[in-house]
This record gives sequence, C-alpha cells and structure tokens, in this order.
Amino acid sequence: MLAAPVYRLREVTKTRAGGSARFRLRVPRLEIARGERVALVGPSGCGKSTLLDLLALVSAPDAGAAEFAFQPPQTPPANLAALWQLGRADTLAALRGRHLGYVLQTGGLLGFLSVRDNIGLPRALLGLPDDGSVAALAGRLGLERHLEQPPAALSVGERQRVAIARALVHAPSIVVADEPTASLDPVTADTVMRLFLELAAERSVTLVLASHDLALIERCGLRRLPVRVTREADGVLASFGEGE
Amino acid sequence: MRTTVLRLAWADYRGEARLSACAVLGLAAVLAPLLVLFGLRFGLVATLTERLLEDPRTRELIPIGSGRYDAAWFEALRARPEVAFVVPRTRQIAATADLRAASGPAVTVELLPSAPGDPLLARYGVTPPAAAQEVVLSRTAADKLGLAAGAEVDAAVGRSRAGREEIVRTRLRLTAVLPLEGFDRDAAFVPLDLLLAAEDYRDGHAVPTLGWPGSERPAGERVYPGFRLYARDLDAVEPLRAHLVGLGLEVLTQAEAIANVRALSRNLGIVFAVIAGLGAAGYLASAAASSLAAVARKRRDLSLLRLLGLSTRGLLAFPLAQALFTGAFGSAAAFAFYAAAAAGINALFAASRGPGEYLCRLLPLHFAAALAATLAAVLLAALAGGWRATRIEPSEGWREV
Repeated sequence: MLAAPVYRLREVTKTRAGGSARFRLRVPRLEIARGERVALVGPSGCGKSTLLDLLALVSAPDAGAAEFAFQPPQTPPANLAALWQLGRADTLAALRGRHLGYVLQTGGLLGFLSVRDNIGLPRALLGLPDDGSVAALAGRLGLERHLEQPPAALSVGERQRVAIARALVHAPSIVVADEPTASLDPVTADTVMRLFLELAAERSVTLVLASHDLALIERCGLRRLPVRVTREADGVLASFGEGE
Repeated sequence: MRTTVLRLAWADYRGEARLSACAVLGLAAVLAPLLVLFGLRFGLVATLTERLLEDPRTRELIPIGSGRYDAAWFEALRARPEVAFVVPRTRQIAATADLRAASGPAVTVELLPSAPGDPLLARYGVTPPAAAQEVVLSRTAADKLGLAAGAEVDAAVGRSRAGREEIVRTRLRLTAVLPLEGFDRDAAFVPLDLLLAAEDYRDGHAVPTLGWPGSERPAGERVYPGFRLYARDLDAVEPLRAHLVGLGLEVLTQAEAIANVRALSRNLGIVFAVIAGLGAAGYLASAAASSLAAVARKRRDLSLLRLLGLSTRGLLAFPLAQALFTGAFGSAAAFAFYAAAAAGINALFAASRGPGEYLCRLLPLHFAAALAATLAAVLLAALAGGWRATRIEPSEGWREV
C-alpha cells in the first residue's frame, strides 16, 4: 500500500491584493510524498513564497479550495482548508510545532536566547526533554564552540546553521526552508546547503524549499516544481504543480 | 509549555535589562509615594487613636448637675457591658479634707472616690487605695505637702455645728502619687467609705468606725448625687451616653475628640483614595502604552514563537509574565523606598511621639494588599499588549529581512 502523500492540494488559490495589481496563486493539483524533496524555483515575485507560506501552514488559502490535506506520517489527515476557514489558529500552531521545522531566510533566531536555547526551542515548546539532539546537531553543524553565545555573536553563515539545527532538533517529518542560503556568499551557501540536505536525508525528512538559485538546486538533485506565470487583466496569475 | 513561556519571557526580560529596570523604577516611583502616604495616614490615625484609647479620660462620662442615685441604680449600671468602672460620688461640698504632713502647712484637697479597677489610676500604674486608711495623692498635692509614697498624712474634716467649729482627724497612709498627666489639681483618691464618713460628719452625724462624734445617722437608703464613670472602650462611649440620656441624665463625654480622630481618618482616607486613584490611573495608562509598545517591538520574536507552535495562550502569557516580573520587582523596590522614607519620617518626628508610636507605619497586611493590588494593576495594563500579542500572525516574522 502506498503511503498517503504529506500534502495533497486540489484547486487551491491564494489571492493577494497589493495596490492596483492583484496577485493570484493557483495550484490546480499538487501532491508531495513522504520523504520527497521539492524545490520551488523561480524569480522573485513568481509566487513561490506564497505557495511556501501555504505549505508552511502560516497563511490561509482562499475559501473554496477543493482539497488542502496535510498528513504527516503516523497521524490522521488534517483538513487545512477547513482549519483556516474556522480560524483554528491553535490547532494550526500545534501542527506547525509538532510536525514542521523551519529554516528562515535570515535565521529568525531569538536574540535573547543563547545558541543552545535557540536550537532547543522547538523541543522546549513541545515540552520534550533534551535527548542530546541539540549537542549532536551542533556538532554536525560545527557550532559546539558557540552554544553558549548569543546569536548576535555569530556570523551570518553560522546563524543559518543554527537555524538548520533548530529546524531538525525536534525530529519533524517536514522541513520548510525559505531561501535558506540567499544571504550567504556562494561558497558558504554551497556548504550550508549540502549539510542541510545531508542532515535532512539522514532523517528522511520531507523537504520543501524555495530558492532562486537554480544551479544549486540542480546540483543537489531536488524535484523542481514547475511554475507558469501569466498576466491577467487585473493582475498576475501564477500556476504551480502538475496538470491544469 | 507553561514553564517554557515563563523561561522565555524571563530570558527576554533579562535580555533587555535596561528597559526592564526602567519599568521597575517607573512602577516604584508611583507605588512608593502612595505607600508613604498611606503609611502616614495609618500611622497618624493609629497613634491618635491609641492615644485616645490609652487616655482613660476619653472614656469617661461626666454627669452634669447632681441627681439621686441609689445602690440599685449603680448595680444596674455596673451590669451594663459598656461599663468598665463606676464609683458613686458624695456631695462635692462635703468632699474635701485638709491634709497635713508631720510638719508644714495644711493643704485643702478634693476627695475623689476610687476603688480597685479605677482606669485613671491604672493608666499610670498606680494601685488604687483598697483599705480604708489608704490614699493616693495627685502630684500637686504631694508636692505641696512634701510627701512621697509610703509617708503618713493627717486628714482633717471640719464642720460647724450650733455655731461651733468642730474638727476630726484620721491618719492615712500615702500609697502612691498620681502623675501630673493623670490629674492636675490638688486631690486625694480615697476609698468611698472615707468620703461617706466625711459627708456624714459634715451633716452632723457620728462615724463610729473612725470614732467621730455626732448624732446617729437616720435610717434609710443612701443616695448619691454623682459618680465617676468610665466606658469599656471608645466605641462604648456613645451607646453608654445614649443610655444615660435616656434615663434623663446630661453627661459630658470626649465625643468630640473621638469624632475628630474619626473625621481625620475618614478625610485622610478620601485624600489618599484621590491621590491613589490619580496615580493608579496614570500608571495604568502608561503601563498599557508601554506594554503595547513592547509587543510592537517584539513582534518579530513573538511571531517567530507563533511560527514554532506557541499557542494563543502562550502568546498572551508572554507579556503578562513580564508584567508580573515588573510588578514583583517594582513592589520590592517600592517597599524598600518606603522603608527608607518611613524611617526618615519617624526619626524626624521622634521627639513628638511616645514609645511604640510611629507617625508612618504599615502592617504586613498592608504590604500584602499593596502587592496584590500592584500585580492586579500590572496584569490589567499588560492585557492591552497581551491582546495585541495574540493577534500576531506566524507569517509576520517568517520573512522579515
């Protein structure tokens, strides 16, 4: 029996009204299987961030989606469209905290916590004890020396590695990363990305990544999600995913 | 989860120690003066009240004019719960005696009836005269006679009968001297029996117990024209007065002094309430504003916590917990400032207060109430920021550069 996909989207749209022009994202059909590594690639403004927001459970789809199901392994499926519609912010927060890891473009670390506490934060919020994964991840990412320092004392590249450790520390089944290496120089970006993908692969994590660096994605062998941008009378329509 | 939020809130609170210190001092700056003000009100009123309570004269009810009260009447009065002490008086005109020490001039003194339990004497630690031959003198009388406790004194009572001046004497033992604060005229506190003897003798009757000659006292119940009466406490004065007025007596009380303290207490209470109200309203407004500002400043961090799965309750708890830190530290600082100010004020007025009296004073209960009210106020003010925090979307911090 085939495992159910982690994400299953049918006719999901998201409209952003900005100034005079309207931006509309349409996902006619999209499935992301367990353990799959998907890259949303395209120039800025193509809607990859909007789609990533939907998949990251941080922004609400338009009403009327045919299906927007989310099913992490070993859990019953969640109807995200309905949860957003009903305003179940705490249910969505619990799903995010339990099943998702996040790597933000600029680290997104808490300045008042040490590197150690930043990495351990998702576990602390879940009430999980430290099982050594903070130290283990810090070791893999070369952060041992920095554990007791505040994030401000670290370089941008190091901070991004802290963010990667934080995204994996609570063993989430899905990691969402938004341009995780955009703020790094090319050499560091390559190293960090490889480490990230390596750690994700070891943990069989489903990975959804947004990036404008096509070459890097190619090199790392991620599945690219095609996007087609068309101009409409009242704005822009971006279509992601297979089918029409 | 709950302790995690507390730990996070504390880490953030410590992280911005300077801003937190400002919040703590801001709270203490409002709270400390209020504590001092309340301490003054409480200390002043308590001291005045205690002085009133300690001064038996404020509990005394003095009948105006003379009446005719018999033993049964006094029995009934003594049985009333409001009464602490009552002793009958004889006619004023008969209640004098000429005292004379072994040497020196005679001094005419008022004779005042006393008995065990006399509050006026008890207040100054003087044992009332119990035996018939015992006397307690007022300070002025003792000084004029040049006598100290333990001395013997001669008491002379005179009468004129059939145009002839007659005089009798008895020897009394001076057991104690009442300080000037207790009584400022020449007086001798003696058992009622001696006053009755003096009255009988002046009326021309014999007093066999003392060997004083005269006609036999006619049979019939004795009536007294007046009394010395003390109420049990301040609150008993008014009902006792009302009772006596109901019996047709006119009495003098220190009602005015009592009412004055009560009015002072009430008026100071109103002044305090007004100032506290203004202070609290100002503090609530400024604390609510800074709570909103803090949440706006921490929007990115809170949104990040929201992204990582923090619940709505957790988001609300974050600013509330920080408000509690401010409330606790601010109260502690205010208590310290208050302690210093109160010590200074009490030292300043040390000369005009008695032992155990404090012009500025708060009870542990007051501190507890101040702490509770402060925590309630800071929480109330932080609800503004807390409510704002719960509206923060996880997407806000997600992509901020």
